[in-house]
Amino acid sequence: MEEVMKSSVAELEQSQTQLAPEQNGGKKKRSKLKAMTWFDYVNYTFLLICVLFMLYPFYFVLIGSFSEGQDYMGGGVWLLPRIWTVANYQVIVSDNLLWVAYKNTTIRTLVGSTLSLSFTSIVAYAMSRRELKFRGVFQILNLITMFFGGGLIPYFAMINLLGLYDSFLVYIIPAMYSVYNMIVISGGFGSISEELHDSAVIDGAGEIRIWWQIYLPLSKAVHATVLLWLAVGNWNAYYSTMIYTQGGDHVITLQYYLMNVINKAAYSPEVGGEILEQVTPRTVSYAAIVVAILPILFVYPFLSRYFVKGVFVGALKG
Amino acid sequence: MGENITLEHPIVKKNKRKFKKWTGRDITLFTLACMGIAFLLVFSYIPMAGIFLAFKEDDSRYFNIFDVIEFAPWAGFGNFEEFFNDQKFWSVVSNTLGLNLLMLLINFPAPIIFAILLNEIMHSKYKRFVQTLSIFPHFISWVVFGGIVLALTDMTTGVVNPIIYFFGWGSRDNPINLLTADYFWGLLIVISMLKGVGWGSVIYLAAITSIDSQLYEAAQLDGANRFRCMLHITLPSIAPTITVFLLLNISNLLSNNFEQFYVLQNPANIKKSEVLATYIYQMGMISRKYSYTTAMGLFESCIGVILMLTANYISKKVAGRGLFG
Repeated sequence: MEEVMKSSVAELEQSQTQLAPEQNGGKKKRSKLKAMTWFDYVNYTFLLICVLFMLYPFYFVLIGSFSEGQDYMGGGVWLLPRIWTVANYQVIVSDNLLWVAYKNTTIRTLVGSTLSLSFTSIVAYAMSRRELKFRGVFQILNLITMFFGGGLIPYFAMINLLGLYDSFLVYIIPAMYSVYNMIVISGGFGSISEELHDSAVIDGAGEIRIWWQIYLPLSKAVHATVLLWLAVGNWNAYYSTMIYTQGGDHVITLQYYLMNVINKAAYSPEVGGEILEQVTPRTVSYAAIVVAILPILFVYPFLSRYFVKGVFVGALKG
Repeated sequence: MGENITLEHPIVKKNKRKFKKWTGRDITLFTLACMGIAFLLVFSYIPMAGIFLAFKEDDSRYFNIFDVIEFAPWAGFGNFEEFFNDQKFWSVVSNTLGLNLLMLLINFPAPIIFAILLNEIMHSKYKRFVQTLSIFPHFISWVVFGGIVLALTDMTTGVVNPIIYFFGWGSRDNPINLLTADYFWGLLIVISMLKGVGWGSVIYLAAITSIDSQLYEAAQLDGANRFRCMLHITLPSIAPTITVFLLLNISNLLSNNFEQFYVLQNPANIKKSEVLATYIYQMGMISRKYSYTTAMGLFESCIGVILMLTANYISKKVAGRGLFG
């Protein structure tokens, strides 16, 4: 634990110093710029091909979703739709359940991620303090759960015992705390200068106030990163709906809905027959997929700079 | 943590003096830390205690877990014997192990290579472009990705078969169903790669950018070319990061991402696609063999811990560092 914490702290510090002076990286790169060799051409091309391979699947589904259903099923739609239509979207958007699932997933993502971040952060604050009594014991108790667990059935029994089965709270409460995120956040706290804490103590601030007014604002990057993980995890979660609920309207999530659309063509559109004639379950499921990734696509450009700059360094260490 | 720092610290000194007395601050911190432990108690430790279920008999009379907990007779190691003697269980274990070992061989080094190649890009805009796009698939759920894989591999509308045909395998009238048992492992490795390689490379790339550039300059003065720099500077410098992830991977040799397998499973590939994670779900949630499943889960957990400790020990002996201390 000590070692893990130490290394993550050290690397977070590194990554933060890296983050601040942008020019530093730029300078290094400028001095490296030399004539392109054959290796560079091969490398540039190879990486471009890799990226194309990674993104083409999404493009493939996108063009499928704009294709006329019957025509699409004939095959051969690889680059552009042969017959363009928005009927698939009209069909999927008219299914009320999609919006119910969307709403549930949005609430889950917003509420669940925020609560989990706050709770984990305040515990992480306590765990990052060297003067915490029995700190070693706390660390060990936390760490054990990362490597050993009771397994599916006892956990399921616990969920039942708490009355969380088939309740919306099953998405929120069991996800309130994560040891892994705690270690990441307390690594971030650990890199904050101890003098700040001392002066706040002299000014008479309580520990919770120090956390809220000094430590939290000073480790925004780490918190943003963890919040992002939590949000993406919540948005993409399928397992919890399948196992801990019966998939009713009050608990249905987007991924669960999507799974049913993809595998069982389970959607009930409220559109006229002439629109339904233009679609097949397959192309409708493509439209559903696109609708489900749209929010991620929308926020991605704003968030991607976080990963690229390497805030994750210390974070990814376990 | 860094003893000399601790000793010099005024706050710690103060605390040392009043070792016995708990200040208000101590109580606040202690309570906060206890909140975390309270959570773990409910969601980790009590379920951990629930592994005694593994030593109870499965009885079709008890449909409810709590009835099994309360009334079912003790079975000793009966459940363990049962699955140790079960052909199905061993085929599941060999699927799990086989696939994970293959992935360790192929999907583990891939992000490292990707990161090193990415680092060789001189134009920072292009570098950022490639990196940003390559991370994207990581943020897409397995449900969506599974749906996309079904679309790509479809025998009439998909795009994979025409490509295979283009390279001279199969025939136009007889397309290959890639979701059958024969191709499942290959398919899984390829799609895991597509989804994970960009994300996996983030950490390595970050480690590479923190290497002191003077090392490269010195090597270049000594006449080392780029490949030698990669081999003798970049790789050794990120070795500690690689070790950490290797250890984590080894301790997870028996675990899989449930959703990844669940979305792609079908009766035609179940022979090759059933892994412990999905088998435990199948036996526990569908067949409701609670005790049997708990026993399997316990087996998986124990092997995981043993693997981790062993790998950690070997790593400490060989490389001088492990996950902990």
